[in-house]
Amino acid sequence: MPVISLEAITKVYKLGDNQVDALRGVSLDIDAGEFVSIVGPSGSGKSTMMHILGCLDRPTDGHYLLNGKDVSALSRDALAEIRNRQIGFVFQGFNLLPRTTALENVEVPLLYSRPILPAAERRARAMAALEMVGLGNRADHHPNQLSGGQQQRVAIARALVNQPSLILADEPTGNLDTKTSIDVMRTLQELREKQGITIVLITHEADIAAYGTRIIAVRDGLILSDKANAPRPALEDEVAPVPMAAVN
Amino acid sequence: MFALMPVNIRLAVRSLNRNRMRSLLTMLGIIIGVAAVLTMVALGTGARGSVEGEVRSAGTNLIFVRAGNYTRGGESVGIAAGLGAAHTLTYADAQAIAAQVPGITAVSPGLSRRTSVVSGASRAFAPVDGIAAAYAKAYTWNIRPGHMLADGSSEAVIGRTLADNLFGKGFDPTGKPITVRDAAYTIVGVTDDTSDEHNEMLFVPWRKLQAGEGIDYLDYIVIAAEKAGEASRIADDVKTLLRQRHGLASAANGQGYISQQGGGAGRPDDFTVETQAAKALTQGLYTPAAAFALANLPKLDEVTLSEMADTLDRASDTMTALLASIAGVSLIVGGIGIMNIMLVSVTERTREIGLRVATGARSLDVALQFLIEAITLSVVGGVVGLMLGFVTARLIGWALDWPVTVSAQSMALAIGIAAAVGLVFGSYPARRASLLDPIDALRTE
Ligand SMILES: Nc1ncnc2c1ncn2[C@@H]1O[C@H](COP(=O)(O)OP(=O)(O)OP(=O)(O)O)[C@@H](O)[C@H]1O
Ligand SMILES: [Mg+2]
Repeated sequence: MPVISLEAITKVYKLGDNQVDALRGVSLDIDAGEFVSIVGPSGSGKSTMMHILGCLDRPTDGHYLLNGKDVSALSRDALAEIRNRQIGFVFQGFNLLPRTTALENVEVPLLYSRPILPAAERRARAMAALEMVGLGNRADHHPNQLSGGQQQRVAIARALVNQPSLILADEPTGNLDTKTSIDVMRTLQELREKQGITIVLITHEADIAAYGTRIIAVRDGLILSDKANAPRPALEDEVAPVPMAAVN
Repeated sequence: MFALMPVNIRLAVRSLNRNRMRSLLTMLGIIIGVAAVLTMVALGTGARGSVEGEVRSAGTNLIFVRAGNYTRGGESVGIAAGLGAAHTLTYADAQAIAAQVPGITAVSPGLSRRTSVVSGASRAFAPVDGIAAAYAKAYTWNIRPGHMLADGSSEAVIGRTLADNLFGKGFDPTGKPITVRDAAYTIVGVTDDTSDEHNEMLFVPWRKLQAGEGIDYLDYIVIAAEKAGEASRIADDVKTLLRQRHGLASAANGQGYISQQGGGAGRPDDFTVETQAAKALTQGLYTPAAAFALANLPKLDEVTLSEMADTLDRASDTMTALLASIAGVSLIVGGIGIMNIMLVSVTERTREIGLRVATGARSLDVALQFLIEAITLSVVGGVVGLMLGFVTARLIGWALDWPVTVSAQSMALAIGIAAAVGLVFGSYPARRASLLDPIDALRTE
């Protein structure tokens, strides 16, 4: 059974008389343990797709089965519970809470887990997640005391603290330089390899997309191509300049 | 729902701490409002409590009959005899009261003197009252050490302070001889009762005091009513009875001084009946609070506890109304301030809300976080207001010489009101926060 199964998903935004067809019938299966890169030009519908995959938004039409369960028409709070248990998010802008330690940032999703976890267990789990991304020694640093790459790794720790089956990353390296981008990609690759977490990554950049096991190109709300990929290894000593060409 | 309370409170405190000046300004309305509430309640309950306390300290439901009369009419009523100067009360009157007026537990004749008392080398100038054994019952005395004097004996009971003055502090004077106007008595007991300055007095049997002076009248009669509410009724009965016995105007004509003045059907009373409340007030145990009450009572001899309390309530109404309007306005202004600052906070933290919702916060979780923040803000303001109110109440009490009581209930009330303001005015911003769309929220800069 695939982790994600999209069946003829459409998304229409109505702006007064105008209507924008952000997604125009997307069907797609993603299996457990895949690292899928979604690429496409600006406005092609990548983020819209990610919002639907992430249960932050509901499709206008079509069905979305997450781990076999149709979530296309669930209530706001039911979707919140699914996001909490099954999905981890990584955003371009990190979205860490300012003036809050790395550890507490990672704890946030655990606050909303039901049944409620005792404080000690929340701490322990958050600490374990931080260690997994190699930031165990930065637990009580505030975001403004961390580099961009470290901040994004804290965000990744937050995404995986509740042991989700799926991590969604929308332009996670968009604000990072090449070297720290590679750090982040390696962290994501390791999560897939060591824990079998399914990863969906949205990016503009071909060389970032190349870290995935599968590359899906989107244009005008439709899937243009969908190919398996031999993932590029995220090597620590990689120094070759990465071309900044977008995939379109 | 409440399991996250510690986390939410910590978040709230942190967020308020982050904008300390802003928080303080926001709390100002609540601070003033709560301070006004507390001051209002403190002054109100303090005034009522002091009257009740004063009245109670005079003894329990006592009625005093004094020889002579005094009125507000003065000369025009044509009364020559001042209070206590007339020789119109007799032991037979006391016996008649005890026998004919129902609802009485104790009656004691009384004589009042101020004279020197001598015991060995010690001497003092002190009030000496001639009383009966029933006096101890009327005032519910604790006699320690020793026991009450016996009627018709030569025994004496001494007040604790007077005993301390004569014999030294804490000395047990029982068995000591004491001389009053050449009459010898033996001290048999000590009373520590402080009402009516009993602790500074010497008590001897009334018969021996009468005999020593060769007189047959009494200065007063003390009557103890069985039930709290019956003092006024008994006072009326006693008046009627004594008028009959003294051959004065008919009972119907003598209900008050006013009717006495206009009545003319007979001579005015040659005695005065007071209930305990009036006595307390006329004995200089006076507070401004009691003075308010007194000024509004037409007939001093018919004062009842509830009448006094009612009058006092009216007297403090003005102040209460003033404080209540300050409190009301401040709390509303404070509440609106809290609402405003919480709306600002929701706007400032839109991304945070988006992040929390994305990671699984339900609408209620978000609403609670902001509601608790609002309540924390108002309760902290409430606590500060409580302290301010405490000081204000004390200051007003001191400046106006008005009794002040800050009870645990009034403190709980003040904090409760503060919390309620936070709850009411925090719910709109909290609801706004809980309805934010996570996608929009995450996109805001
Ligand atoms: N809330 C919205 N209301 C109206 N139109 C929207 C909304 N969100 C997205 N759109 C439109 O839907 C289309 C797809 O947008 P989307 O954000 O998915 O693109 P994208 O591929 O993520 O682009 P980018 O690479 O610039 O982030 C665009 O035309 C966009 O203008
Ligand atoms: Mg996008």
